[in-house]
Amino acid sequence: MHVYEVFIKKDGRDEFRHVGALEAATDELAVVLAREGYLRRAEGDRVWVVRRDHVVVADDDFVDPNADKPHRHHDGAAVADRRRASRQSQQ
Amino acid sequence: MARSWATMEDFEAFLDGGGLVEADDDMPDAYRRAVFAFIEMHANSELMGALTERDWIPKTPGLRHKMAVLAKTQDEIGHGHLLYMIAADLGVKTRTQMLEDLFAGKSRFHNVFHYRAVTWGDQVAIAFLVDAAALISQQAVFKNCSYGPYRRILRRIITEEGFHMRLGEDRMMRIAEGTARQRGMFQESLDRWFWPALQLFGPDSVPDDELLRWRIKSERNEVLRDRWVQRFVPMLQSYGFTVPAPDLRWDTEAERWDVGPIDWEPLRRTLAQGGPDSARRIGEAADNWQHTAWVRAALSDGNGSGA
Repeated sequence: MHVYEVFIKKDGRDEFRHVGALEAATDELAVVLAREGYLRRAEGDRVWVVRRDHVVVADDDFVDPNADKPHRHHDGAAVADRRRASRQSQQ
Repeated sequence: MARSWATMEDFEAFLDGGGLVEADDDMPDAYRRAVFAFIEMHANSELMGALTERDWIPKTPGLRHKMAVLAKTQDEIGHGHLLYMIAADLGVKTRTQMLEDLFAGKSRFHNVFHYRAVTWGDQVAIAFLVDAAALISQQAVFKNCSYGPYRRILRRIITEEGFHMRLGEDRMMRIAEGTARQRGMFQESLDRWFWPALQLFGPDSVPDDELLRWRIKSERNEVLRDRWVQRFVPMLQSYGFTVPAPDLRWDTEAERWDVGPIDWEPLRRTLAQGGPDSARRIGEAADNWQHTAWVRAALSDGNGSGA
């Protein structure tokens, strides 16, 4: 038996979303159990099952938020300030 | 391990800050065991509830309701699956160990599934009153539970329990609109099931309840129980039934229903030594587990794929 992680997706709009896990002997049975357990009332129109031991998990440290890379963000405040200043100087 | 905490104080500070614990976190052992025991009991209750429901599939009146009962039984078995899965991920017991403990009579499940459902009226009372009590408890856990996997799986369970509760109310209304004999039958069922349903919430929470401190539950038992009382006492009365509480009164000052003193002895006795129907229910579940061994063997063999 293998543990499978189950992902479902709705209506072509959203991303695939992890909804839980199940235990099954084969890929085929895993898909059947995913449908019976997680898609009982049209919760999604697509399903992925992935064996848990096939999921590659990155260390938390590796994906820590990049607090030292502020240049990757721009909150727009500086631009707004300058735009306002420019508007006022033209009046 | 994703995260770890040096001391219980650090862990509790993390919880107090609204932190969510995940399955691969190195959580304190006491927390792991507490959250495991809570989910295991919920899983057992779903499964034992499903088996009760299953008993009534052949006896359910009308094809539409029979189909709905079939779907509900499947839902409850499904909830058992989902919950046993996240419980097993805590690494305290495997899914098979949990099931074997349950069928050996070593595990706990909700008090209501230790009593016998005698008539269709009983089954309706259970579907209406007990499912509602379970739903109120689960909603309170879902709202703020510190264990992430449980909280996420509760979202789907609660959605489906909502269907069950409406189905229960639908059946109750049909009986309420029925003949004097049907109404009499339901009143008798109410007399049998009102108190066990109310006791599903358990006695008042102790002041230092660790389930509350660790946000495994987020509301006190008495608060949840009162929510149920305030909703179901007037509802049952509006359908012309009598709430079987001799000391029931409307507290004009607090503007609330007061059911009077609660006798907790039946609950204590049931949880300690089982109830009138425990042996039969557990025995039948255990027999069923044995008789279906070949199905599990066939499924785990995986059709010769070498799995």
